[in-house]
Amino acid sequence: MVGEDLKELADRALAEIGAAADEATLEAARVKYLGRKEGALTEATKRIAKLPPAEKPAYGAAVNAAKSRIEQALDQRARALRAKSLELDLGAEREDLTLPPRRVRVGRLHPITQTIREVSRIFGTLGFETVEGPEIEWDYYAFEALNIPAGHPAREKWQTLWISNPLGDDPSRPILGRPHTSPMQVRVMEKRKPPIRVVIPGRCYRYEATDAIRESIFFQYEGLAIDEKLNMADLKGTLYAFARQVFGSDRKIRFRVDYFPFTEPSAEIAFDCFACQGRDPECRVCGGDGWIEAAGCGMVHPDVLRRVGYDPARYQGFAFGGGIERLAMLRTGAPDIRLFYQNDLRYLEQF
Amino acid sequence: MLIKVPLSWLREYVEINVGVDELALKLHMSSTEVKGVERPWWDDRIRTARVEKLAKHPNADKLLLATVDFGAGNPKTVVTGATNLHEGAIVPYADEGATIIDGHTGERATLRGKPMRGIKSEGMVLSQKELGLGEDHEGIYILDPKLPVGALLREVLGETVLALELQPNRPDCLGIVGVAREVAALLGTSLWEPPVERLDPSAPKDLDVRIEDQRACPRFAAALLTGVRIGPSPAWMQTRLVAAGMRPIDNVVDITNYVMLELGQPLHAYDRRRLRGGALVARQARRGESLRTLDSMDRVLPEGTLVIADAERALGIAGILGGEDSEIREDTTTVALECASFEPRGIGRTATKLGLQGSSGSAAARRFSWELSPELVPIALARACRLLREHAGAKVEGVVDRYPNPRPRVNVRMRFSDVPRVMGIDIDHGETLDILRRLQFTAAADGDTLVATPPVVRTDIAIAEDIVEEVGRIAGYDRLPTRIPDGPLPLAERHRLEEFRERARDGLAGFGLQEIVSYSLVDPAWLVRLTADGSCIAPEPLRVVNPTTVSQSVARPTLRPSLLDTARRNLRNRSSVAIFEIAPIYLPRRADLPEERWTIGIVLAGNAQPVKEGETWLVGERRFDVRDLQGIVLGLAELLDVESSGDRSANVPGLHPGRSIGFGHGGRTYLVAGQLDPRVAEMWELPAETFIAEIDLAVWHESSRPPRVTAPPRFPAALRDLAVVVDEATPYGDIEREIQAAGGKDLESVSLLDLYRGQQTGAGKKSFAVRLVLRSATGTLGEPDVERLVKRVTGRLQHAVGATIRA
Ligand SMILES: [Zn+2]
Repeated sequence: MVGEDLKELADRALAEIGAAADEATLEAARVKYLGRKEGALTEATKRIAKLPPAEKPAYGAAVNAAKSRIEQALDQRARALRAKSLELDLGAEREDLTLPPRRVRVGRLHPITQTIREVSRIFGTLGFETVEGPEIEWDYYAFEALNIPAGHPAREKWQTLWISNPLGDDPSRPILGRPHTSPMQVRVMEKRKPPIRVVIPGRCYRYEATDAIRESIFFQYEGLAIDEKLNMADLKGTLYAFARQVFGSDRKIRFRVDYFPFTEPSAEIAFDCFACQGRDPECRVCGGDGWIEAAGCGMVHPDVLRRVGYDPARYQGFAFGGGIERLAMLRTGAPDIRLFYQNDLRYLEQF
Repeated sequence: MLIKVPLSWLREYVEINVGVDELALKLHMSSTEVKGVERPWWDDRIRTARVEKLAKHPNADKLLLATVDFGAGNPKTVVTGATNLHEGAIVPYADEGATIIDGHTGERATLRGKPMRGIKSEGMVLSQKELGLGEDHEGIYILDPKLPVGALLREVLGETVLALELQPNRPDCLGIVGVAREVAALLGTSLWEPPVERLDPSAPKDLDVRIEDQRACPRFAAALLTGVRIGPSPAWMQTRLVAAGMRPIDNVVDITNYVMLELGQPLHAYDRRRLRGGALVARQARRGESLRTLDSMDRVLPEGTLVIADAERALGIAGILGGEDSEIREDTTTVALECASFEPRGIGRTATKLGLQGSSGSAAARRFSWELSPELVPIALARACRLLREHAGAKVEGVVDRYPNPRPRVNVRMRFSDVPRVMGIDIDHGETLDILRRLQFTAAADGDTLVATPPVVRTDIAIAEDIVEEVGRIAGYDRLPTRIPDGPLPLAERHRLEEFRERARDGLAGFGLQEIVSYSLVDPAWLVRLTADGSCIAPEPLRVVNPTTVSQSVARPTLRPSLLDTARRNLRNRSSVAIFEIAPIYLPRRADLPEERWTIGIVLAGNAQPVKEGETWLVGERRFDVRDLQGIVLGLAELLDVESSGDRSANVPGLHPGRSIGFGHGGRTYLVAGQLDPRVAEMWELPAETFIAEIDLAVWHESSRPPRVTAPPRFPAALRDLAVVVDEATPYGDIEREIQAAGGKDLESVSLLDLYRGQQTGAGKKSFAVRLVLRSATGTLGEPDVERLVKRVTGRLQHAVGATIRA
C-alpha cells in the first residue's frame, strides 16, 4: 500500500465516521480502522518495519497523517453525538421545581436586637462608639447625679422599681432597675475625658402599667457627645441624620422645646405618624396628635458636668435618649409593644 | 401635671389674636405641651330647660316624672332617678336623638327614648358626666337660674378647653395667669392681672401664725375673715371650675380652688371655732402624733413631717392634706385662711411616704412639690379675700404674713454670645432683649454683658443656660440649623465581649434558631420549679421591692425558666421549638450592685424534622434529641474559636442525670447542656424530651483563641479504618482521646464511622468503627510509616482501655 492508498483509506474512514448516527456505530468504525488487532491502520503500521529503509520515512509519515485525521474525526464526531444526546435528554427531562425544597431551618434575630444594631450602626457612622452599662443601678447614677434628688417632682416621670439585695441593703445607697439609660452619661464621663461620643443601648425598668405602647421592662438608647463647642444645632443635625437613615426622607421631623432636669436647654424630637400620616384624630398609634415622640434631648446641664469634674466653662455637649421599641414599631409598623416580649414565634418569624 | 385651661378664662388675662389651633401649636412647640383641645360637641338637641313640675312615678318609688320646658312650646315628660331636682330649676335637657355620654360606658351614644316602668321618657335631664364635664353622675347638673330657657347649651355653656401637660420646672404655669403670661410672650400681646383686695397690713387680734421650721416653711400668711355665709358659689364660678375639671362644693372651698387654678397657689381654710389658742404653727410632727385627715383616715405622722398645728395638736399635714376636725362646715362663720410656702422636696418626700404622691394623691402636694414662688403667697391671699368678700359676705379682719428670710432676687449675669454658643444660631442683642421683655424679664445690657432678672414667679431661672433656653424657645427651635458635629473624633475602644456576644447571636440564628427576648424580672415561683425536688439551681435572687406584678418580682438568676416558659407557650400551637436568648443573669454581691453575667440559653423541643409543619415528603419525621443540642453547642464553640477546657461534671441539677453534661472552671460552672429532667419537663407541660443548654459567655470568651491558620496540605493522606471493641461502659470520648494521644502530629483526624453491638462483639461489649486520616506535613507517608503509626494507636487502645482491635 502506498501513500495514495492511505489517503483513500482515510477518506473512506472519515466518510463512515461522519455518517455514524450513534456511539455504537462510531465505536465500530474506530475498531475497523484503529483497532489494536485488525484495524486497517494498525495493519499499515505493522508494514513499516518490512519496508526498505529508504521508503520508511515517507510511508511512516503518511500513516501518521492518516491516523491523525481519523482520530480527529472520531473525536469530533463523538463530541457531536454526545452533545446531541444531552440535548435530547435535556429536552425530555422535566423536574417539577414548584415542589417544596429540602428545607433548612431559618433563624432570625429578635426585632429588639435588630433595632439596637441599627441604632449602633447609624450612630457608628457619625463617630459614636457603642458602650453598655449596668441595668441594676445605684440611685445616685439614676437620679442624684442627674439633678433629680429625692422628693424632686420629676421623679414622677421615672416611676422606679426599687431592688433589694438578699445579701443586705444599705439604706443610704438604694439600688433600682434603671428607669432610663441616662445614668450611663455620668458613668462614661466619670471614666473618660472629652472629646466623647458614645451611644448606649440597654434594658430599663419602670413602675408602670403596661399598654400597647408602654412596657414596665423595655429598652432605650442614650447618646452623649461632649467637646468644647458642640451645640443645639449639632444635636438637631445628629438626630435628623439618624432619623433620615432610619426612616428615609419622607418621614416628617419636628423639634420642640421640652424639659429634663439634666439638660438645659432641652428638646424633644418627634416624627409624623406612620399609621395615619397625621390625618386620623382617632388614631391609636399617635393618639390623634399626628406626631410620635421619639427621643428627648438637650445640652448636658452644667451641674451634671461639674459633678463629674468637667469644667462647664470649657466643655459642653449634648445628650439624647429614646425608646428602642418605639423605633422598632416605627420601622416595622408593629402594633403592640407587648408582642415583642410574648415571644410568640409566629410573630417573631416575621421580622 | 395635666391642667385644663378654659379659653374664656384665659382670655380674661391676655389678649389672644390667633385661632385656638395656632395658639395650641405655639404653646406646644415652645414647651407647654398641649395634650388636646377640647371643643364643645353638644348638638342642637341639647338645650337649657326649666323644670315645670315634679311628680312621683306611679309605678316606682325611686323615680320621678319631671315636666320640662325647653322652649319648643310643648313641654316634655322625662323619667329620672335624681334627687336634687326642684321645680323652677334650670337644667340641661337632651331631646331624643341627641348625642350624649353614656353614664355607664363613658362612650358617646345616641339618646333613644325608652319606657321606664311603663312610662316613656321623652328625653333626658343630664348630669355632668353625660355632658362630658366630669365624673359626677349622681345628680342632675343644676345650671345658673339666670340662663334663658331653650338656649343651645353649646352656646351658653360650651367651652373650648386646652389640656396642658406641665413639667415641674414651670410651677408658674400651674395658674391660668401663668399660662396667660406665656401666651402674651408668644403672641406679643397685652396681659392683665386679676383684681385683688387691698389688704390692711395690721395683724388681726384673734389670729397669729408662727414658723418653727423655717427651712420647711419659708413663708406663712393667714387672713381672718368673719361674717362668712356658707352657700353655693356663683354659677359662673361653678361653670369655670367644672370646665377646669373640679367639682363645686361650697363658696369658701370653691374660692380657694378658684384662686389655686388662677394663680397656682393652694390655700387652706379652717373653721376658726375649732382652733385652740390664737395661732397657726408650722412645726414638725411630734413622735407618735396622729391626725384624722379629710379623707377620714387616722394617720400616724412620720417623725419630721411638717404639720400646721394650733396650740395643742396638729390640724393638718402642711401642704398635703387638711384635718377633718377643723374643716369648713355649713355653719362656719369665721374662717382662718392659710396661704403658705413650703420647701418642695420635703413635700415630695412626705407625700411619697404617706402614699399621697402622683396624680391620684393630694392635689395640693403635687403643686407644693413644685417650686412655687413665695411671692405668690400675698397675691393669692389678697385675691381670695376679695372673692370671699364678694361672694361669701366675708369681712377681712386682718392679715398676718411671716417671711423671715426673703429669697434674694435672681440676677443672671451672662454674655449675649452665650446664646449662639449654646444654641448654634445667631440671635442678635436686640432680639434677645425683646424676647426677655416679652417674658417680663428685666434686662440690662453693657456691650456683650447681659444681666437678666426673671419675674418673681419664675423660680426655674438660675443660670445662663436657663436664659439661653428662654430666648431660644421663644425664637423657636425651627430656626435651629442642622449641623453634623465636626471637631476632634474620640478614639473608640474595642468591646470584645460584646463583639463576641453578637457573633454568638449571628451564629445561633445561622444554625436556624429563633432569638427571643424575654422579661428579665420573673416569678419567684418559677425558680423552685427547675428541679424535681424544688431545690434551687441558682443563688437567691434580687427582689423588686415594689413589683408591678408578682410575675415580675425577682431579677432572674438563670435564663432557664424564661426559656422553658417560652417553649411551653409556643408548643401549644406548633410541634417544634428551637430558640435561644442571650441576656444577663443577675447574681447578688455583698454591698455592691449585682454581677450581670451574660449568658447564652438554648432550648430544643419537639420535631426536628420536618422543618415546616406537616411537610414530610422529602424527610422522615424525627424529634430533637440530645445529639442535636450537642451539635449546636459544639458548632457554636467552633464558630467562636472556643477551646474547651475545664472539669467535666456529670451531675447537673435539673437535667436528666444520664443525658447531660456540665463544665466548670475554677469552681464556676460555665456550660451545662442536656435533656431536661423529665419530671421538671412535666411541671412545665413540656415534652419529656426537652433539651436545654446554658453557657457563660465571658468564660467562653476568655477561652476563645484567634484561629492559627496553615496552608492546605500538600501531600496525600492515608486512610485506615479500625474496629475497636470495648466494654459497654467505655465512653467514645476516651477512645478518641487515646487515639489522638497516640497518633501524634501525623494523625490528622479521627472520625466515627459506626457504633455496633451484636453477636460479633459479644455480650457487654460494643464496637466502634473509626477512620484515621494520616498525613505528614513534610512528605508522602510510606506504607511502613503508616503501619508504625497504626500499631502505636492500637497498642495504646489495648493498653489504656482494654480494647480489642479488628482491622
Ligand atoms: Zn396616627
